[in-house]
Amino acid sequence: MNPEIIFVTGKGGVGKSTVAAALALKKAKSGQKTLLVEIGDQSFYKDYFGLQSVGYEPVKVQEKFSVALWSGQNCLREYILHLIKVEALYRLFFENAVMKAFINVAPALPELAIMGKATSGPRNHGPKLPYDCIIMDCYATGHFMALMGASAGMSEVVKVGPMGEQSRSIDKVLRDPQICQYYLVCLPEELPVRETEELFAQLKADYGITPNIILNKCIAEPLPMAEFSAAESSTNTEFREFSKQQKKIQELHLEMKNRVATLDPETQLLPTIWSHEVSRVLDSLAAVLK
Amino acid sequence: MKILVCVGNGGVGKTTLAAAMGVSAAKKGAKVLVLTIDPAKRLATTLGIEGNKDICKVPGQTFKGELYASIVDHKKTFDDFVLRAAAKSEVAKKLFDNKLYQQLSTSLSGSQDFSALEKLYSVYESNEFDLIILDTPPAKHAIDFLNAPQKLAVLFNDSVARWFRDSKSSSARSRIMSVINAGTKQVLNILENITGSELLRQLADFFISIEQWQDKLEDRIVKVHKMMTNPETKFCLVTSFDRAKLRESEYFLTELRKGGYHINSIVMNRSYPEWLNLNEAVSRGSPAGTEGLFALYKEEKEFYSYRDEIYSAFAKKYGVETKVLRLPEAREPISDLAGLEKMSEIIMSQGDSR
Repeated sequence: MNPEIIFVTGKGGVGKSTVAAALALKKAKSGQKTLLVEIGDQSFYKDYFGLQSVGYEPVKVQEKFSVALWSGQNCLREYILHLIKVEALYRLFFENAVMKAFINVAPALPELAIMGKATSGPRNHGPKLPYDCIIMDCYATGHFMALMGASAGMSEVVKVGPMGEQSRSIDKVLRDPQICQYYLVCLPEELPVRETEELFAQLKADYGITPNIILNKCIAEPLPMAEFSAAESSTNTEFREFSKQQKKIQELHLEMKNRVATLDPETQLLPTIWSHEVSRVLDSLAAVLK
Repeated sequence: MKILVCVGNGGVGKTTLAAAMGVSAAKKGAKVLVLTIDPAKRLATTLGIEGNKDICKVPGQTFKGELYASIVDHKKTFDDFVLRAAAKSEVAKKLFDNKLYQQLSTSLSGSQDFSALEKLYSVYESNEFDLIILDTPPAKHAIDFLNAPQKLAVLFNDSVARWFRDSKSSSARSRIMSVINAGTKQVLNILENITGSELLRQLADFFISIEQWQDKLEDRIVKVHKMMTNPETKFCLVTSFDRAKLRESEYFLTELRKGGYHINSIVMNRSYPEWLNLNEAVSRGSPAGTEGLFALYKEEKEFYSYRDEIYSAFAKKYGVETKVLRLPEAREPISDLAGLEKMSEIIMSQGDSR
């Protein structure tokens, strides 16, 4: 059976990584063998989960839940080894100084390798990834679009040959709603909502994708207005001020909720968890996520 | 001339902070330029740079000095650089049409970082300002910004370029095959097997266009590096506030120091609501009918007070060598000049940011 592949993205600072981790926890708890993937050279989840290290090989966080760090270099290396099969030849290729330098910066190559690995299961190409669910904690919007665009761009530049073929097959899987899902994480504030609206429209127009929206740190159950009026008689100035601000925040959240609901009527709301403890935050969020 | 570089992860409010710091300096009498990357529309309007690619004087200011702003136009900066680097304009034109170049100049991660630094250098060279404040492109990790030019330079390195150029035509290829060693030949074959001959052809075209660039690019990179490590160039690390982010900041500070850069401040942005007083305990009792609200008030106050302790520990550790500033979440989102001025006052009250 094909794994479920979920891409998580959104504006910087909206809590992508936290939401991706909560989603992974949720999947693992429901019995799916889940891999949470972060992209790049530096691990965020290492300190987040208090792990010894996080690298290319998956590390277990808890039962059925592992985390891995993929860089374009690593993905490409693994893929090429898989293709060449002869260790000596592969060494020759990768230890060549020119090749080393080239792979680091070649346009779209690292992005293509990452997306190629993520979709290797359904494409039946490349080394096996034995998971029921793969959750990709992707970069923020701009870099995410570069990830998405690598396969389409490369199949445009290289029409013939294996590279073009692979690019087209990756692109096809990314557009298949039966295989790939997209979660846009957003905050109930003007700028993140606007960026979400733009990204939503772009994914739809360029790839025919309908993303799911997660509105993070949003008030799901508003306080009754009577509480705010009652607070006006408080002798505590700070509390009165808090009440005034909270009322404004509540109104803003409602407005933003309605705005994103016009894009995704099934937008999921996640509350703010007032805790500094990772496990408490993740458990609470996983319990709310559908 | 001084430079202040605002670095940090995406979504931490770098652009607004860069603008507010510009206001602080202009108030003190300096002629300041704020170079932004991707400002929100309302902020761009405030700065007078919406839909404009030139350097503009910020409208409505009554400062002792002068405040200017500009948006870095990546495509144009990159193309300008190419035009200057290419000896003949036909070569540049041919390159602009190359599909790989189009990918490279627009979507390649690192190309934005390169053009931001390139733009900064050209303004720096003009010597028209007392201070330039640079807002940096969003990056997963702040350190990526500084490594981008070197990474990009490798692509233009002549040994790489020659490699692909020489693979262009079969005759040239067979000629070169006789001189390069068997190992390289095999590597090229492997690449061709994996990617196909068309990509190799595209690459060859690309590298033929950028022939003889290496010197110019390397010269530029050396100059930019000199500018960035100059003691007059300071870094301001902007971060949001949670444990994982603080750890990232610590890592970044270490990397900056290792690289010979000068840090002058760490700003924890939007770290507590302006309307909560963290020095005061929650006073007991609340009017009837405010149970839900009061519970939330207490919860938030506890949360931010605990955060304050983490902050104090961090400030104690790093405050010796560099300024640590903590800015609140404002009552209203900051988008007009008055909001920027207010923010600049908070910055100045916590210590000079220059």
